[in-house]
Amino acid sequence: MEDSQIIDLFFERSERAIDELEAKYGRAVTKTADNILRSRRDAEECANDTWLAVWDSIPPHRPDPLAGYVCRIARNLAVSKLRSETAQKRNGTLDLVLDELEDFLPAGADVEADYDYKETVEGINRFLSTLSYDDRFLFVRRYWYADSVKEIAAAMHERENRVSMRLFRLREKLRKTLQKEGLLA
Amino acid sequence: MNRDKLFQALSGLDDRYIAEAIRYAPEDASSASERIVKMKAKRIITIALAAVLILALGVTAWASGFFSMLTRQPDPEETFRINWSENPSGYIEWSDAKLAVTFPDTAESKEIEFRPGWLPYELPSELRGCHPWQNLSADTWFQRLSSEDLAFADGPQSVPAYRDMMQPLLIETYSMSMFNNGGAMLLLYYTPEEITEEHWDEQDVDVMYFHATQHFDAVPEYNMPERTIGENIVVLSNAEGGWVIRLAGEISMDEMLEVARNLEVRETGKTMSYEDFENHYLFIDGGVG
Repeated sequence: MEDSQIIDLFFERSERAIDELEAKYGRAVTKTADNILRSRRDAEECANDTWLAVWDSIPPHRPDPLAGYVCRIARNLAVSKLRSETAQKRNGTLDLVLDELEDFLPAGADVEADYDYKETVEGINRFLSTLSYDDRFLFVRRYWYADSVKEIAAAMHERENRVSMRLFRLREKLRKTLQKEGLLA
Repeated sequence: MNRDKLFQALSGLDDRYIAEAIRYAPEDASSASERIVKMKAKRIITIALAAVLILALGVTAWASGFFSMLTRQPDPEETFRINWSENPSGYIEWSDAKLAVTFPDTAESKEIEFRPGWLPYELPSELRGCHPWQNLSADTWFQRLSSEDLAFADGPQSVPAYRDMMQPLLIETYSMSMFNNGGAMLLLYYTPEEITEEHWDEQDVDVMYFHATQHFDAVPEYNMPERTIGENIVVLSNAEGGWVIRLAGEISMDEMLEVARNLEVRETGKTMSYEDFENHYLFIDGGVG
């Protein structure tokens, strides 16, 4: 079913909307949550919360693309759940991918003081827009979905070491781009 | 940037990028130009020209209908240097290494040039413009031998006739000065079979050659079956000169050794220093093909 038809079902308040949404994006949503939570049971619970959150937000929203919208909700819910359950405890996968990026994006006093969330987000989105589809896929799967290198390599029919290498270069490229735009010291 | 801000910034990625990465589908990727938030005109023109060029190369390649291997020897005046800034690195642990080439304290990092005196064939020209070689535009054997875009051709978009075929031949060089504190070139991931070690007086190089395999576990989520791929690898090194040349690919070991033995390596007279390299590494992942 097309995304627009699913959204129409939500607007009609038809319960079939959730069934169709789950049929189309259930796997992606569960995977997104599972990458953060590392628990199948928690991920499934998070997916159910996602369907409810979508139900509550459409209408009035008419998201386009729907896939990004539902995955974002799932990720946010998963992160909230993770933070509430683990408090100060570090989460393996999520922290690993943040560590990778943090090493490349050093803190700089001047820029940090003027940190503008929106500008940084726009900077990263601009950076992504300049990448090839493959590089963008790599970056988003690793640093947004928190996929393992192995999973990304399998999806792209690539070798793991090649994926690691490309990620290394992307991190470096991101750092240079943000520095050039004055968003990073 | 601290991790909280980083996490916050990443959370703001455009929904379209998140949606397009739900599954790997390069054939469905829409034009990047429409995604650009604040793109400069020059970049738009560059992208447009590149798209036309890629399309033209692809159409020409398919129209030619050739799927033969062409033979061409490089011209004698052609010499080559690796673009150092493009060299790879990784963040993998030393313990993962299955083979390493290291350098003694007394070594100097000599800059080298090389040219093959013998090649079995060139990459079929019809592959230019096709995934994963779409970025390969220069019609020179050197680019074909040194471009990573040639590697691993069995993606879903690849030319069916060449699926499961890895790069026939890749030649890469490494310099000691690229590394931090006595780093090395390592062989990772691949499992070498019997390693033959020799010293070739003519080129004054230590040689290691072997067939190596890399195992991939099945990943049901992506319908990827378990499989093992392999290639022949020849590593030439001059430890005192601080350089390494790696030849790797699917051509037979006899052919690979023939290429290696006929490789003309010249030191340019320049000694490379740590400052000559923009990026520095603990080690280089020599298992990359």
